[in-house]
Amino acid sequence: MKNFSFCKGREVLWYAFISTMYLTCPDTFAKPTTKYSPTQQQLQISGTITDGIGALPGVTVGIKGSTISTITDLSGKYTINATNTDILVFSYIGYKTVEIPIGSQSIINLEMKEDATDLQEVTINAGYYSVKDSERTGSITKITSKDIEKQPVTNVLATMQGRMAGVNITQNTGMPGGGFDIEIRGQNSLRLDGNSPLYIIDGVPYSSQEIGSSYTSGNMPAQNSPLNSINPGNISNIEVLKDADATAIYGSRGANGVVLITTKKGREGKTSFSTNYSNGYGQVAHFIDLMDTPQYLAMRREAFANDGITDYPAEAYDVNGTWNQDRNTNWQKQLIGGTASYTNIQSSLSGGSAQTQFLLSGNYNKETTVYPGDFDYIKANGHFNLNHESLDQKFKVTFTTGYTAQFNNLPSVDLTRDAITLVPNAPSLYDSAGKLNWENNTFENPLAKLEGKIKGQTYDFLANILLSYDLGMGFTAKTSLGYTDLRQSQMNLLPSTTYNPAYGLGSEVSAVFSNTVNRNSWIAEPQLGWGYTIGKGKIEVLAGATFQQQKSNQLVSAAEGFASNSLIENPASAANYLILNSDETLYKYQAFFGRVNLNWQGKYILNLTGRRDGSSRFGPGRQFATFGAVGAAWLFGDESFIKQNINFLSFGKLRTSYGTTGNDQIGDYQYLDTYSTSGYTYQGVSGLQPTRLYNPNFGWETNRKLEAALEMGFLNDRISTTIAWYRNRSSSQLVGIPLPGTTGFAELRANLDAEVQNSGMEFSLRTVNVQGKDFSWISNFNITSAKSELLSFPGLEGSSYKNQYVIGQPINIVKVYHYTGLNQTTGSYQFEDYNNDGNLSAADDKKIIKNLSPKFYGGFQNQIRYGNVQLDFMFQFVKQQNFNENFRTSMPGTMVNQPEAVINHWQKTGDEGPYQSYSNNNAEKRAASIRYSQSDAAISDASFIRLKNVSISFDLPRDWTKKFFCKISLQAQNLLTITPYKGIDPEFRSSGYLPPLRIITTSLQVTF
Amino acid sequence: MKNSKLFQGLRHHQNYNVRAIFLFVIWSILSCFITGCDNFVDVDLPSSQLTAEDVFEDKATANAAMVDIYTKIRENGLLTGGPSGISSQLGLYTDELTFYGVSGSGQANFYNNSLLASDTEISELWTSSYNQIYSANAIIEGVNASNALQAKDKDQLMGEALFVRGLIHFYLTNVFGNIPYIITTDYKQNSIVHRMPENEVYDLIKKDLEQASKLLPEEYTGTERVRPNKWTSQALLARICLYLQQWDEASDASSSVLNQTGLYVWPTDLSSVFLKGSSATIWQLMPAIDGMNTHEAETFVFTQGPPSSLAINDELVKVFTTQDLRKDNWLKAVTDGTSIWYHANKYKEQTNTGSSVEYSIVLRTAEQYLIRAEARAHQGDIIGAKEDLDKTRNLAGLNKTSATTAEEIITEVLLERRLEFFTELGHRFFDLKRTGRLDTTLSSVKPQWGTTDRLLPIPESELLLNPNLAPQNAGY
Repeated sequence: MKNFSFCKGREVLWYAFISTMYLTCPDTFAKPTTKYSPTQQQLQISGTITDGIGALPGVTVGIKGSTISTITDLSGKYTINATNTDILVFSYIGYKTVEIPIGSQSIINLEMKEDATDLQEVTINAGYYSVKDSERTGSITKITSKDIEKQPVTNVLATMQGRMAGVNITQNTGMPGGGFDIEIRGQNSLRLDGNSPLYIIDGVPYSSQEIGSSYTSGNMPAQNSPLNSINPGNISNIEVLKDADATAIYGSRGANGVVLITTKKGREGKTSFSTNYSNGYGQVAHFIDLMDTPQYLAMRREAFANDGITDYPAEAYDVNGTWNQDRNTNWQKQLIGGTASYTNIQSSLSGGSAQTQFLLSGNYNKETTVYPGDFDYIKANGHFNLNHESLDQKFKVTFTTGYTAQFNNLPSVDLTRDAITLVPNAPSLYDSAGKLNWENNTFENPLAKLEGKIKGQTYDFLANILLSYDLGMGFTAKTSLGYTDLRQSQMNLLPSTTYNPAYGLGSEVSAVFSNTVNRNSWIAEPQLGWGYTIGKGKIEVLAGATFQQQKSNQLVSAAEGFASNSLIENPASAANYLILNSDETLYKYQAFFGRVNLNWQGKYILNLTGRRDGSSRFGPGRQFATFGAVGAAWLFGDESFIKQNINFLSFGKLRTSYGTTGNDQIGDYQYLDTYSTSGYTYQGVSGLQPTRLYNPNFGWETNRKLEAALEMGFLNDRISTTIAWYRNRSSSQLVGIPLPGTTGFAELRANLDAEVQNSGMEFSLRTVNVQGKDFSWISNFNITSAKSELLSFPGLEGSSYKNQYVIGQPINIVKVYHYTGLNQTTGSYQFEDYNNDGNLSAADDKKIIKNLSPKFYGGFQNQIRYGNVQLDFMFQFVKQQNFNENFRTSMPGTMVNQPEAVINHWQKTGDEGPYQSYSNNNAEKRAASIRYSQSDAAISDASFIRLKNVSISFDLPRDWTKKFFCKISLQAQNLLTITPYKGIDPEFRSSGYLPPLRIITTSLQVTF
Repeated sequence: MKNSKLFQGLRHHQNYNVRAIFLFVIWSILSCFITGCDNFVDVDLPSSQLTAEDVFEDKATANAAMVDIYTKIRENGLLTGGPSGISSQLGLYTDELTFYGVSGSGQANFYNNSLLASDTEISELWTSSYNQIYSANAIIEGVNASNALQAKDKDQLMGEALFVRGLIHFYLTNVFGNIPYIITTDYKQNSIVHRMPENEVYDLIKKDLEQASKLLPEEYTGTERVRPNKWTSQALLARICLYLQQWDEASDASSSVLNQTGLYVWPTDLSSVFLKGSSATIWQLMPAIDGMNTHEAETFVFTQGPPSSLAINDELVKVFTTQDLRKDNWLKAVTDGTSIWYHANKYKEQTNTGSSVEYSIVLRTAEQYLIRAEARAHQGDIIGAKEDLDKTRNLAGLNKTSATTAEEIITEVLLERRLEFFTELGHRFFDLKRTGRLDTTLSSVKPQWGTTDRLLPIPESELLLNPNLAPQNAGY
């Protein structure tokens, strides 16, 4: 039955395919669109277009109402045949479009003005449709390639950091190829892994589900994100859809927002070649102040004295005389203080006629690491785009494809933790013979870990084709087809040389963990659009369907015991080979969606969107759900009573939206009661284990979003601002309910009757401070203040969440002990015993609630241009609390280095500390120390203001470079940070990993 | 002209096509709404998974589910030979092992008796154990519901699962004290369970083992001793009765095992005791792949000094007399020229040997002799007790015991247990505890030992998730 009905689904797909194939046959009998009358006079018009500084090549010069057009050449010159009654239209992206009637002129020169203020005309991509910014009813923010190319970063999420209101992005490691966390308008789901937005590249959903395995990604806090495959250099613009109006058309996948990535497209004009070469370096921006040897050894001696130990134990090599007590090494400098190099080459070739345009681009990027040793991360990418339009402009096709290969050769562990904890008088890394020093087996040399490597390749192929045909009578049929294919293989190589030779281990213990992932998906989206204008009214209707399938498989294996370490990359030569995980998943998704947009006079706009979704991730009977939204906008600035009375107001719009979206990020097959292979064998039988606790009764979670916003422009839009208020409420939360170990599992997948609210205000302001011929200065400012709240949770008291959440409080809270100072008799940390039972326990005494979500965050961006020189800089700021340097530091006095501040400790009655008296292994002190790290003393202000990005560029004057265009620039990332935070980096939440690096690059761009 | 007519015809045709297609698309979309192509989103089971029902419809897959529990016991939780298991952790906790590794590590906290309820090592022991118990309960329920399995196979699987359930609860209660006894897979019940007094836990363990002894076959399944048989269950029952001071039952249960003289042959050579083929073995866990050996060897053996993590405690080395062959056979000295350290050398093979040489032994006949010796001494059977005690002494090259009174014999048996079972699954800790000697013995050698250290803490995370588990054990 099931098989049969699957075929039925496929048939429908065929209809869609066949219909689009038919549609691809262009109607060659278009009516001529321009009529020539004999009274008109044929002229040849020519001229030069400049931008006030130099010639402007690539400007489209067309005749209004006709398809005839030409492009200016490299020196800005053009020639076109027209008649004296024609009107010439000069257009160029980023510049104001100018229309000039020809009349008797035969030479028309023009100085084009940058389109800095004409914001309302900008077209915004809303996914299935695009909309003029002024007529937008939804909440959508956008960055373009102009913002992206100023940043020396390789991850697409990095390019958005600090530039978008309501979008909070944090980098989780400075290791090349590492990931970023993104939250669009807060954390909606209680499931930490259920908060990713939907990514769509040129219309094709791109799964951001992790592709790694914990066996092969120990050097990073999170597993590899497939988003690494996207080359920021190929991106034309990124739009983030936030509210219900914008996201409801994405239905079940829109709850956490939608990130639309549009890649660069070919442009009409003479074939031009552009290449950009950048080179630079990266370093850890800030080290923690740690104890030096005299301070450290004094601490250790005092610790033993406090413990009543006079004979230092055998393993206390630092103080018992085994190690030289005069050595003093700054391990941060030694282990993570290196310089990473950064090289990026991006070239593109583009051009085409009015009918057909193409773009071919390639990119090569190489980064090394700050660790000692030879490690690198290489990314190469090719991108091709072809657009074609039939002569009658009825048929259009856009084809885009990209291929990215990533090669990583990175250390298998991050040495940051070692750099911070290694004792300062530890022996040198190398002995006199230049070999790793084990100091007679007393020293676990951290560099040995670098003998282990994580090596791998990721190949990612992406193709999509968009066909559209104007059926006449306002109807347009469109079909978007896409395919993605991702292949990753990673190996975590652990040769025997990572071990202390004291173990006497040879290549027979060398091991390799491998992870191979293949994931491919296809999507077909037939759509039909209709537009109609009656008088002052305009109606647009869109209906479509989505069929999507994603298939993935993963194989994780371990191989151990090689005849030689040089064979380690070949599992076939291993003595033992174990399959740890072999998994395949199929995800199928189907939807129907629609949109109706009513526009009266361009002033009153109503936008209705809806979607009905089905997903294979839910059990029978629970697969389908419907989502929808309504959005409305009133352009009050266009009302005559406003225009007449408030003349400084150049634009005014009120918009609001309400709707529902869903979330199906729950993994596949979770509703089944199954056994799966465990990866271990016994008696030659491969074991089967219960996969999960069985619960077939879970369904969609819903997210209701409400938004109201005011958009205004003043003084001809030289000042423009948006203030938005939003409120998202998620209910039927689909979570992994944490369960006590006695159930055999850690969680159960189920809908929770809890409701979470995320609300906030977003404010953005754009000002054109100076707009002159030689000097211009534009500022952008955005700030988001966000709050989450657990609205209701029936049965919280009796649930396993009892000690985690509090009704009325945010969901990102931690409950901690309240630190009350030092015990003046023992010198140990003391905490509030809330229930006065004489015993401190997490359940009863962790009563202080700390909120770790940012209070507000934002960015301040400036773009200053003086003649040929352009300076851009951006500050990012976050107001937040976070775990500080007192979190997870070992007890002061153990054989672990400590922050320098720890010298301020209790020694005698009256001492204020703040740190407790030293001890090597006193059980009570250890308990106090652990509780201290789980108390309010370990959480403090982690706010920061960071000069996130600076870019200075200089365009060589055209007189110097006649035939080409040349730009030199200097770019920097994470240049300066102002913060009260004493840890390694305040942005960063994953302790013990390499913080984001400070990167400085220079680049040269040449265009022919 | 003719041409244009032709074209016109084509054009009409095409226009017709376009309209048709347009209608077709609309129709497809509508028809989907109406007929509901819901089935598009139905997916079949992936090839890597089987439904729970199907697993127990076939002997092979039911067996695969059962053996998976043994791999789990081998790899994690209380009984693993790896550094997180009790063989090494309780060795460090008592006076068997000395720690040389990084101060502040989980092992150091066991060694310093400074464990906290929030230590991840503690919650790992707890959760892996209950996961093993869940799997056993799933077997019991699956087998019960199965229509296709033969009675013989049902008995065996049920017997093994009951044995495992009793075994894991036995170790849990000895380590954590009062614990919940889990007998179902129902998470609704299991997530709000209360702790049960130790004596009630023991009653349930005994019940499970007695049932298992009835169901399990007398012979081993397969050619090796890697699946529990009836005598395996009896052997554990003997230990439990000993711990409960039920001397008659203990003696009877161990006799039932030792009387299987065809199966269990007392060895003549000490060096063969820990080999996989040893006929003194009652139950052992085999490695994942032929050629691999034990986690115990990986944990305990080192070849150069000073040791990088742990070595035998000097106190233990001193207890061995010079005639004791176990000192040379089961301990190995390593020196750097000036100092000397010992490691446990019962399991010797750290790496792949082509064909496996050693398996991890859970139950062996030496324990049965010493259980019976102790029980007989308590029963007043001095001759029988001495006979049993001399079994291990003889094999170790020691003279017959000179003890004459029951008390002397018991003292000797406990000493013999210390020498025989060091670094084996927490025997030392359990023996000291059940005989009330923890404080007197450990206070002098473990500076931070306290009376409340007789129990490990209930993991803090578990108390947070299930407040019914309160109160925490004393001292934490």
